[in-house]
Amino acid sequence: MRKTFYILLFLVAFPAALPALAGNIEAVEVTAPGNRQLKLAVETPRSLNTSPNATSAREMSAVIAFDMNMSGTISAETREQLPAATPVPLAGTSYLPWSTAGFDLLVRGEYSITGDNLTVEFRLFDVLNQKMMTSKRYLGKIKDLRYFAHSFADEIMLFVTGEKGCFTTHVAYVSNQSGNKEIVIMNWDGYNQLQLTRNGSINLNPDFSPDGRELLFTSYKRGNPDLYKRALSNTVEVPVSNRKGLNITGSWSPDSSKIALTLSKDGNSEIYTLAKDGSRPVRLTVNSAIEVSPAWSPDGARIAFVSDRLGKPQIFIMNADGGNVRRLTTAGSYNVNPRWSPKGDKIAYARMSGGGFQIFTINSDGTGDTQLTSAGSSENPAWSPDGRFITFSSKRGGAEAIYVMRSDGSGQTRVSQGKGKTTQPAWSSH
Amino acid sequence: MRLRMTALLAALSMTALIAGGCANKEAVKTEEPAVATVKSDTTKPIKQTYDKAEGSDASAQKQIAAADSSANAANDQSGQSDRAVAGVAAFETVYFDFDKSDLRQDARDILSKNAGIMMKSKTALKLKIEGHCDERGSAEYNLALGERRAKSAMQYLITLGVQPDRLSFISYGKEKPAVPGSTEEAMAKNRRAEFMIDK
Repeated sequence: MRKTFYILLFLVAFPAALPALAGNIEAVEVTAPGNRQLKLAVETPRSLNTSPNATSAREMSAVIAFDMNMSGTISAETREQLPAATPVPLAGTSYLPWSTAGFDLLVRGEYSITGDNLTVEFRLFDVLNQKMMTSKRYLGKIKDLRYFAHSFADEIMLFVTGEKGCFTTHVAYVSNQSGNKEIVIMNWDGYNQLQLTRNGSINLNPDFSPDGRELLFTSYKRGNPDLYKRALSNTVEVPVSNRKGLNITGSWSPDSSKIALTLSKDGNSEIYTLAKDGSRPVRLTVNSAIEVSPAWSPDGARIAFVSDRLGKPQIFIMNADGGNVRRLTTAGSYNVNPRWSPKGDKIAYARMSGGGFQIFTINSDGTGDTQLTSAGSSENPAWSPDGRFITFSSKRGGAEAIYVMRSDGSGQTRVSQGKGKTTQPAWSSH
Repeated sequence: MRLRMTALLAALSMTALIAGGCANKEAVKTEEPAVATVKSDTTKPIKQTYDKAEGSDASAQKQIAAADSSANAANDQSGQSDRAVAGVAAFETVYFDFDKSDLRQDARDILSKNAGIMMKSKTALKLKIEGHCDERGSAEYNLALGERRAKSAMQYLITLGVQPDRLSFISYGKEKPAVPGSTEEAMAKNRRAEFMIDK
């Protein structure tokens, strides 16, 4: 049903392109080898000023090419503008040199910089059918230039796959760069890091609210591991749960009406839900074992969690009211960090193997258990809102850093840039 | 059955404590010189020491505990001065096996000593028991495991006669390792419950 909708949308958007590109729609869904990827040229945007800023221009085309290459659906290259006697305006784009060079798609742009103001227009062209597919114009500051480029990359994904990209989203994580474990936020590709908490304590397990505007996290700032929330737009850290013992691994329900978490107030760590203001605890698990890390299914009907009720930590699934508990993972002796995919079909998790962890995905019915990472030690997987990517923390040689890969495990790329140890990434919604 | 055993053990330990008050003081004293020698120990592997500690070799255990308290002194000045104020030596740290929160024999021995210090202290000394884990395992699971360790140490102190209202607990999971590094030796020192004087 969903796929039909995308194809329809695709048809409405550019019906003439269908015969040439239809085969590649499948490639998007499957990314099977053998299906040729679309080739995209990203031309360095042309300056409309008398004083061009080549660095800014190249940065914008590099961002678009990076996003597209990470997507795995398009193979992108940055290209300088074609030599011409007079600069070619967007409207006068000629397709022949690009089709001759083997490209299916072309992005061209024009920009002007006045003081610290930036205006940029990008256009996506279908080279084979010699048509413009989409055009966007952005007005803002120079510091927004990466955001504008990411935003156009989202647009390209919409036209090519029928689903908007996630390239303007954020990743929050825990970093000890300041000397303490604080919550830091960055763009999905690792740029624009901003330290959010500055309480000098231990801060853990950030989780975005479904609208992407707030973060839940656990902090020792008042001595006990309590659950707090804060809006990204201000610095006030609001206590949500400061019950005796652990108040950890808070997770917003998809409709943001509840918070699932682990509390040990009744003597043992168990999974509870709270109202979003932290009131009305409802206990979901009743077991003498350790229970942590609740993760909601996208429809809010089920919760995956970690329990060592059979001796070692394994991943279980229960209904959101605590009923119908069943074991999900059967292989591996230590499985943790479950996160449900946005489409609901899979659960990513980390399995202890050798001295470290590796990331796996498994279907929510327990079939299709698949190892995605093998280098170093990787844990804390989190899905991008479109389900295309998984971010995780990994120790590969140096200190632990944040990585991103496609949901099939390909394209593993380090994105966090800071020094220090970075762990527990959470991916924002759109 | 198990409970009765524990009670019996507790009674025995108490008798030992009452009878051997002097011995207990001595054990506390030996800590002072050990701290000085330990600095070099922490920099080189101490496999041998660890292996012994897995058994119930009290002296080896003491060495580890001393190494641990010196590490604490380095990064917790306030804890150190608390101890000075209270006029008691540092409470010894107890250690656990991987992914376990039950008390080994060496841990029970140390807890008996710690309980002795508590029950003899003239001031109404209060203790906060910190549960810690090694770097293996997930941070989240380790927070729960660390709490279990702290609580199992606390429960044993209560069994030995320490009043429950003088004890509290907190888990730091794997967030506050006593020693850095990923060696077996380092991890063995990080799987622990520490006893901090609570003001």
